[in-house]
Amino acid sequence: MNQGTHEDAAKTRPVTIHDPTLRDGQHAIRHQLGRDQLRRYAAAAEAARIPVVEVGHGNGLGASSLQVGRAALTDAEMLTTVREQLSHSKMGVFMLPGWATTRDLKEAMNHGVDVVRVGAHCTEGNTMERYLGFLRDAGVEAQGVLVMSHMAAPGRLAEECRRLVDYGASAVGIMDSAGHYLPEDVSERVAAMAAAVDVPIIFHGHNNLGLAVANSVAAARAGATIIDACARGFGAGAGNTQLEVVVPVLERSGFSTGIDLYALLDAADLAGREFVPTPPTIDSVGIVSGLSGVFSGFKNPVLDAARRENLDPRDIFFELGRRQAVAGQEDLIADVAATLSRSKVSNASSAY
Amino acid sequence: MNQGSNLNVAVLGAGLIGLDLVTKIKRSRFLDCQLVVARDEQNRGLRSAAAMGCRTTGGGVTSLAADPVNFDVVFDASNAASHAAHWEYLETLGALVIDLTPSRIGHMIAPTVNGTDALVHRNVSLISCGGQTAIPVLHALTQRYSPSYIEVVTTAASMSVGRASRLNLDEYVQTTQAAIRAFTGVPDVKVLLNLSPAEPPPTFRVAISLIGDDFDPDVIRKHVTAVAEEVRTFAAGFEITACSVVDGKAFIAIEVEASGDLIPSHAGNLDIINSAAIFVAEQYAAARLVTEERTVS
Repeated sequence: MNQGTHEDAAKTRPVTIHDPTLRDGQHAIRHQLGRDQLRRYAAAAEAARIPVVEVGHGNGLGASSLQVGRAALTDAEMLTTVREQLSHSKMGVFMLPGWATTRDLKEAMNHGVDVVRVGAHCTEGNTMERYLGFLRDAGVEAQGVLVMSHMAAPGRLAEECRRLVDYGASAVGIMDSAGHYLPEDVSERVAAMAAAVDVPIIFHGHNNLGLAVANSVAAARAGATIIDACARGFGAGAGNTQLEVVVPVLERSGFSTGIDLYALLDAADLAGREFVPTPPTIDSVGIVSGLSGVFSGFKNPVLDAARRENLDPRDIFFELGRRQAVAGQEDLIADVAATLSRSKVSNASSAY
Repeated sequence: MNQGSNLNVAVLGAGLIGLDLVTKIKRSRFLDCQLVVARDEQNRGLRSAAAMGCRTTGGGVTSLAADPVNFDVVFDASNAASHAAHWEYLETLGALVIDLTPSRIGHMIAPTVNGTDALVHRNVSLISCGGQTAIPVLHALTQRYSPSYIEVVTTAASMSVGRASRLNLDEYVQTTQAAIRAFTGVPDVKVLLNLSPAEPPPTFRVAISLIGDDFDPDVIRKHVTAVAEEVRTFAAGFEITACSVVDGKAFIAIEVEASGDLIPSHAGNLDIINSAAIFVAEQYAAARLVTEERTVS
């Protein structure tokens, strides 16, 4: 960081910032980012020397659907728009097996993607085998991430990561998709993964319990070298790790990001003006989402269902948590709402 | 054919689907399981098939021609990529080939919609578990309505989806989409798949959303209830669990429980495609029987 505050540059450890503002952030606004918003933010991120700018529907390639929400733009439109703005920064995409196919990966490659994140529920890493192998053989940088990672023990995550590396991942890691972790949970998991593999470790935080920045620093201290963060914390529910906060905090903690502080703050301000209608706040629904261990992206559909069935959205979240819903299972929300509506029994208040 | 009028059948593949198929064949009054084939003698599934009393070989598809038995029906429960090579070889054998992989090579069949097509094709495809669950309902609804968009989201329990299926997710999505387009005439179709490791494992579930005009919830409910009854004639665990119209969108959720076999009740994905396969093979057996009786008399 240029205008950084850390003086002993020789001792700093490099960390790569991966910015999914234009992908994961989309959950907050029902996947409605338009061309101008993509273009302006990508240009600002490039100016700030953010290493990777990820773009797409909130659930990645091919995910525009009734299940999660239909995007304003096609994948091709989003990729073309962002590609034009990036030269030093890499362009990233995200894909979930079962949601996107090899055909979508080829399309992204035709649009000049640099880094592909393949994701799967934390215990289902072997669904990535084919895609990581395909990308490795095609010479595209491929990373494997375990989604909803609080649902698996550290040893299991480490074992999954080892497999992802065998399949061809050049970096592996975890997403705290429900914003459920405490810093010590993160340290333990990152340490287990770092001991298991020789490739960079990724950490992606959500802020449901106000700990996304602290968790990201804990991850870096435990050996993670790729940290995800979004401008203004743009993201589902309580939001993601706030980019313009975590970068200077990492710098003060002895890590170097190579990012220009003023340009970073300008990019965040631009995001605030252009497409973050209200900065994510930790409202009561966001807290319950984190406590119940349910994917933050369920917030809007849960609120819709609660309104429709005249239910307390917190009850819906706790019931989804009890059923161990995974990301992508949005069709369960209507089911749970209908069941609760029939019974009208609150099993949430008694649980906590 | 050897014993009486039963058909001699072989199963290619001894994974989750192949083994459940074997248990269903052994229960059938019309089918004799003569051989279970894998590509490797060390295959663990083969040992399970042998323990169930089946003759097995790790010699691959070419074992079929060398075998003393003439096979009437060959079920392919391997994987989509292998099916292409298997079919090239099996085409010359003259058996009816029932493909349970999402290869999209054979003539696509959903038993309650076009099951009798199996009598006039040599290679029939059972599409996919999601296809077998959604297509009967979608076919019925598109006789009455002309939706502009169809979306099908499948959720299967992790432990019911084996390695071959996990390597065939692209084929699952593309073949199921192609089949839904073919059976409904609706071009804009999207298929998604989730795997759930929840404990206890959730029952196999298919959620269908349609966008269209003038959906009447009562009419839709009447149609899907009738379809469910038909499908239950061969897959007893087929249940409609939700049926609604909200903001011009019809939403139908189906759950399928496996019943009466070694597989756990949540694994309706295995049960429905295998039950469809057995149903088609038994219809074929019955038709052959009629033909033979005519020939004799």
